[in-house]
Amino acid sequence: MRRSVFIAGLAAVPLVLGMGVFGTGRKGSITSAQEKMSTMEVKIDNFSFGPVTLKVPVGTTVTWTNRDDIPHTIVSTDDPKAFKSKVLDTDEKFSSTFSKPGTYPYFCSIHPKMTGKVIVQ
Amino acid sequence: MHPFDIKTVLFAKHAQHVVLIHFPIALFIIGVLFDFLSQWKNQRLLAAAAYYNLLVAAIATLPVVVTGILAWQWELEGQKLKGILLMHLVMGCVSTVLIWVVWSIHTKTRRKQQAVLPGYRLPIEAVAVVIVALTGHLGGFLSGVNGPG
Repeated sequence: MRRSVFIAGLAAVPLVLGMGVFGTGRKGSITSAQEKMSTMEVKIDNFSFGPVTLKVPVGTTVTWTNRDDIPHTIVSTDDPKAFKSKVLDTDEKFSSTFSKPGTYPYFCSIHPKMTGKVIVQ
Repeated sequence: MHPFDIKTVLFAKHAQHVVLIHFPIALFIIGVLFDFLSQWKNQRLLAAAAYYNLLVAAIATLPVVVTGILAWQWELEGQKLKGILLMHLVMGCVSTVLIWVVWSIHTKTRRKQQAVLPGYRLPIEAVAVVIVALTGHLGGFLSGVNGPG
């Protein structure tokens, strides 16, 4: 009886280890898929944000890329500011992660006519 | 935004610099033009017109420099400048100094009651006009006036 229990225990070890390995693998693939989905991009071109209004799920990281020849900034209009970038030269990027639902309007502090909005749902 | 909304105009943290900059640029360029004309036509009236334009241009640089620095401190929180912004700042400072140098040459001549302004002022004025124009071009580029926007 004891011997059969011991053998059963030995047989269970690779099974448990295998489940662990496969389980980790599946979790990893899900995480990478989520990471891919949770990054959105806003392009700055010709003195405008594109898209002007971006709807994203909670936890999304939004990356702004300056494709203009002119420096721009990305500054939240909320008080206190939810996010604020340094001055972005051509091809420089700024990212912000949105962990709470809500509407986040923003503008370029050098060119206040440039406005945009991130809606987190 | 209503164009005559005084509150918006006064409290826009960056806007005054963009508005005020036109005064020293216009006055200085016209002042230099009058000075060149006075040299060519040998007319004291044109020299006097040049002097007063340069005087007001020099005075007008003061609020422009102040509002420019305030825009940098308020809107960009004084962060380290680079690229076009840094070039605009440096050339703006050089332009201001040159405007004051040109005005001081004219003032010294008037105080000494000399009839003839020194000839070396003309190349200085020409260089100053070019630098002022380049600074203004960069400013226009930054504000989007000279750009595609």
